[in-house]
Amino acid sequence: MTVNEKQIDTSCRVPLLVLFGGAALWLVVGSVLALVASLTFHMPDKFGDCPWGTYGHLQPAADDALLYGFCIPAGLGVLLWIFARIGQTPLRGAMVPVVAAHLWHLGVLAGLVGIFVGDSTGFAWLEFPRGGSALLFFAYLLLGLWALMNFSGRNERGMFPSHWFLIAALFVFPWIYSTANILLVGWPVRGVVQAIIAWWFGNNLVFLWTSLVGIGAAFYFLPKFSGRPLHSYYYALFAFWTLLLFGSMRGVPVGAPVPAWLPALSAMNSLFLIVPVIAIAIIGWKTVRGGAGRECKGGSFCMIKFSFVAFILSALLLVTSACPHFSRLTQFTWFGAAQTQLQLYGFFAITMFGAIYHILPRAVGIEFAFPKLIRVQHWFAMAGIILFVVSLVIGGVVQGLKLQDPNVAFADSTKAMLPFLRASTMGLLFMLVANLLFTLNVIALIFAWKWSVAKTVFAFLISPLAKTEVKA
Amino acid sequence: MSDETKTCSTDSGTEPTAARLHLPMWILVALLTLLYLGGIYFDHHSGWFDKQVYSPYSNAAMLESYQPKSGAAAALAAGRKSYEAVCGTCHGNDGLGKPGQAPQLAGSEWVNTKGHNRLAHIPLAGVSGPMQVAGKDWNMSMAAMGAALSDADLANVLTYIRGSWGNKAGEVTADDIKGIRSGMGGRPQMMTHDMLMAMPE
Repeated sequence: MTVNEKQIDTSCRVPLLVLFGGAALWLVVGSVLALVASLTFHMPDKFGDCPWGTYGHLQPAADDALLYGFCIPAGLGVLLWIFARIGQTPLRGAMVPVVAAHLWHLGVLAGLVGIFVGDSTGFAWLEFPRGGSALLFFAYLLLGLWALMNFSGRNERGMFPSHWFLIAALFVFPWIYSTANILLVGWPVRGVVQAIIAWWFGNNLVFLWTSLVGIGAAFYFLPKFSGRPLHSYYYALFAFWTLLLFGSMRGVPVGAPVPAWLPALSAMNSLFLIVPVIAIAIIGWKTVRGGAGRECKGGSFCMIKFSFVAFILSALLLVTSACPHFSRLTQFTWFGAAQTQLQLYGFFAITMFGAIYHILPRAVGIEFAFPKLIRVQHWFAMAGIILFVVSLVIGGVVQGLKLQDPNVAFADSTKAMLPFLRASTMGLLFMLVANLLFTLNVIALIFAWKWSVAKTVFAFLISPLAKTEVKA
Repeated sequence: MSDETKTCSTDSGTEPTAARLHLPMWILVALLTLLYLGGIYFDHHSGWFDKQVYSPYSNAAMLESYQPKSGAAAALAAGRKSYEAVCGTCHGNDGLGKPGQAPQLAGSEWVNTKGHNRLAHIPLAGVSGPMQVAGKDWNMSMAAMGAALSDADLANVLTYIRGSWGNKAGEVTADDIKGIRSGMGGRPQMMTHDMLMAMPE
C-alpha cells in the first residue's frame, strides 16, 4: 500500500476537529440541561418562575442536545475516519465535511434556541422547529454523500462488516428524518397516524441509528484492540440483517390507542430482536476472549468493552416490551427513560468516547494534555450511567406496581419515586463530571493544535528568506 | 503494546480483519422458533390488520360480542347464544346438521315457511318417524328440546334459525310461542310428519 496511516489520519484532521469539538460542547450543554431538568423533581419551584426553566423546555432540550448535538456528529466523525482507514484512502475534499459540520452545529443551535423560545414541535425527538431541522437535514445529506463518495473511491476494495452497519446508518437518517418532518411538521397527517409516525421515528433514530453506528464502530475497534480477527464475517452478516429488519419495525407501546395490529407487530419484532442481540454478544465475546492485544487500563478498549455490554443490556430491556404483561406494568413509568439513557449514553456515547480518544491524537498528531483524566472520566461515566439506569429501572417497576394497585393513591405512587429520582440525579451529576473531563481534553487538544498552527505561521513569517529566493 | 494513552507515536499498523467462520445451526433454529412463536402471538393479538380492532380486543368477533345490542339485533344475538347451547350440538353451529344425527336447518323447507306454527311444534313437542328435509329422507326422533326454554328464549332461537345461514323467514315473538304452547295442553304427544302437515303452516 502506497498510502501510509499518517497521511490518512491527518487528512481527516480538520473535519474531525469541527465535528468532535462541537459535539463535546453540546455534550456539556446537554448534561447541564439534563441535570437542571432532573433537579426540578426535587425543587419544583426553583426554576418555575421563568418560562424557559420549566421541565417541558429543559428535558427535550437536554435530550436533543445529547442526541443531535453529541451522538450524531460524533458518530459521523468516527464513520469518516473508519471509512478512510479501512479503505486505506486519505479523505478527499475535506472542506465539504467541514462546511457540513458547521451547518450541523448551527442547526442544533437554532433548534435548541427554538425549543427555549417556545417553538418546539411537541413530538418527542423531533422538537427542533423547521429551520433547525432543515439545516440538520442538509448538513447530514452533504456529509453523508461525501462519506459515500469517499467510500466508493477507496483504495482497498474489500468490505469489512463495519461498512455495512455504517452505510446503513447513513441511509437510515435522511429517510426517517425527512419522513417524520414532512408528515408531522411540514404537512401534518391527521389523527392517530401522527402518534404512530412519532413512535416509528423515535425508535428508528434512538435505537436503530445509534445501534448501527455504535456496533459498526465496535466491530472495528474490538478486533483492532484485541489483536484478533472479528468473529466472524457470517455472524456479523446475520446480525446486520436481523437487526435492520426487526429493529426498524417496532416502537409502538403495548397499550397504545391505535389498531391492535400495530402494538402486536411491535411486540413481535421486539421478541425477534433477541436473535441479533445474541449474535452480536457472541461476536463481541469470541473476538475479545483470549486476545493478546493491549490490556484494558481505563482507556479506549475498556470503554468500548463496557459500552458493548451496555448495548446488550439496553437491547434486552427493549426485548421486555415483547411481554405485554410486563410492558403494561412499565409503560407509564421511568423504565423507558432508563432504557433510552442506557442506549444513548451507556452504549453510544461511551463507544464514541473510546473511539474519539483513539482517533483524535492520531488525526491531529498531538497527545491529549491530561491523559490521566481519561481513566477518571471513564470511571465517572460508568458510575453515573449505572446509578441512573439501575435506580430508574427498579424505580420504574416499583412505580408500575403502585400505579396498578387500586389501594395506592396516584400522588403516593409518584411520591414513592423520589428516592429513585434522587439517585438518578446523582447519576446525572457524575455523567456531567465525566462529560466536563472529556470536553476539557478535547478542547485543550484543539487549542494546542491552533497554537501549533499559529506558531508555524509565525515562524514562517519571521523566518529569513531562503538564499535561493533572494534575487540580486 | 503501547500504553493506552500514549497513542500517536505507535500503532498496531494493521486494519482489523474478519474470520470466515460459519454461523452455527442452533442460532438459525432459534430464529425459526422465535418466528413461529411470534407468528402465534401476532395471530392471537393483531386482529389481522382490522382497523377497528383496538387493544385489548384481539379480533373482530370478540369486539362484536361486546357490542351492546337492541331490538332485532339483540333478539338474534340472544337466540344465537341459546341455539349454540341447546341445538348446535346436533344441528351444528353452522346449521348444516350432522349426517345420521340431525337434519340441516339451513335452507330447510320446514324452517323457511311463511308461518311458524309447524316449526314451533317441533322443539315444543318433539318429533319422530320418517320425514323429508331438504331432499333427504330421515327416520329418527328428537325429544322436546325446546319445551324447557322460556317463551322469549325459544322465540329468539326460532328467530335466529329463521334469519341465519341464508334463511330468510320472519321473526317469532314470545307471544306467538305463548299462544302455541297453551294450545298444546299439558303433556303433548310427539309430532309426526302427518300430524305436522295436518296443522296450519
